[in-house]
Amino acid sequence: MRTNNMTPEWMDSEVSTGTSIMAVEFDGGVVVGADSRTTTGSYIANRVTDKLTKVADYIYCCRSGSAADTQAVSDIVSYHLDFLQSETQEPPLVRTAAHLFKGMCYQYRDQLSAGIICAGWDKKDGGQVYSIPIGGMCVQQPFAIGGSGSTYIYGYVDSVFKTGMTQEECMKFVTNSLALAMMRDGSSGGVIRLAIITQKGVERKVIVGSDIPRFYEG
Amino acid sequence: MSIMSYNGGDVIAMMGKNCVAIACDRRFGIQAQTVSTDFDKIFEMGPKLFVGLPGLATDTQTVAQRLKFRLNLYTLRENRAMKPKTFMSVVSNLLYEKRFGPYFIEPVVAGLDPKTNEPFICSLDLIGCPMVTDDFVVSGTASEQMYGMCESLWQPDLGPDDLFETISQALMNAVDRDATSGWGAKVYVIEADKVTIKTLKARMD
Repeated sequence: MRTNNMTPEWMDSEVSTGTSIMAVEFDGGVVVGADSRTTTGSYIANRVTDKLTKVADYIYCCRSGSAADTQAVSDIVSYHLDFLQSETQEPPLVRTAAHLFKGMCYQYRDQLSAGIICAGWDKKDGGQVYSIPIGGMCVQQPFAIGGSGSTYIYGYVDSVFKTGMTQEECMKFVTNSLALAMMRDGSSGGVIRLAIITQKGVERKVIVGSDIPRFYEG
Repeated sequence: MSIMSYNGGDVIAMMGKNCVAIACDRRFGIQAQTVSTDFDKIFEMGPKLFVGLPGLATDTQTVAQRLKFRLNLYTLRENRAMKPKTFMSVVSNLLYEKRFGPYFIEPVVAGLDPKTNEPFICSLDLIGCPMVTDDFVVSGTASEQMYGMCESLWQPDLGPDDLFETISQALMNAVDRDATSGWGAKVYVIEADKVTIKTLKARMD
């Protein structure tokens, strides 16, 4: 309830990455994608946010929920992975990163509001996508969607997805799905950020303005 | 959750040289979800008189209908078009009648006097307090953003083309910073001899 009407509603609201996030696995790597809107209430605090956060050289996470919570958790996981890399002299496994996320999100589940998709490439298992929704469960999936905008595209992704897609097909899949989610969800919007993670490294892309696909706008 | 921000939406009106402009976004949403992108909030009340009704969408529709009803009866009785300043008082009266159970609308009126073509803009709060200005008025969920844009962009005595550009930029950039506004925009430029309606190509997110 608003007891104070002197200041705008967004001055008393927590910063949230309302969000549409997605990750898809292909043979040789993963494509991760996100929108770029951060809101405080309904005010758009940042319209060019980068929600694709590096936690290791070949492992990225997509963040949704409370901006503060997800930044704090991913900083800590990033530290742990870096430490592990020093100890083992090997790049960390994606499933290790995912389980570190899970550990923190589950233990502090009552205090956190974080929905994370952890995806990347490692030598052992290739491209992998792990979904760590609110509550702290961890599950590997061929592709994952998350954030408030994802609710609008469950039907779309289920109808379009097929196994064995190429890197380009995965990029188109992520771009179209996020464009649809951004259109319908008020908490998602801005630009589409993509990261393609393979053995060769990480390639970052941004899709802006008229390059974002447009569908039925009735 | 505030009732005034349940559906989202904004209207701006600006004064120009012998013309006025009024513009609105086109989103109809239910909290964060966008339901349609062709929900206009500006209604024609006379050949040179327009009213913008941002706020709760159900009241946007109801108030538009009830205002038209009162205006039609006035026109039939008086056998002349209603002046914008008079229309402002009609709106004020309709809203204050519901003082203790109000319509959740904060209207904006823009028009030209039917005889003298003198330009007029004003806004009202949800219980009918009128405010007449000689520069611009704003109303809606992105009102703070619109105030910032208008204060920076507006100058006096803009011609119809410059006024169109100014009001369009003010509205578009303001709603791009509001999660519950946007998804298209419509601009009406009202001059003595014509009304130009333009639909803007806007961000659909």
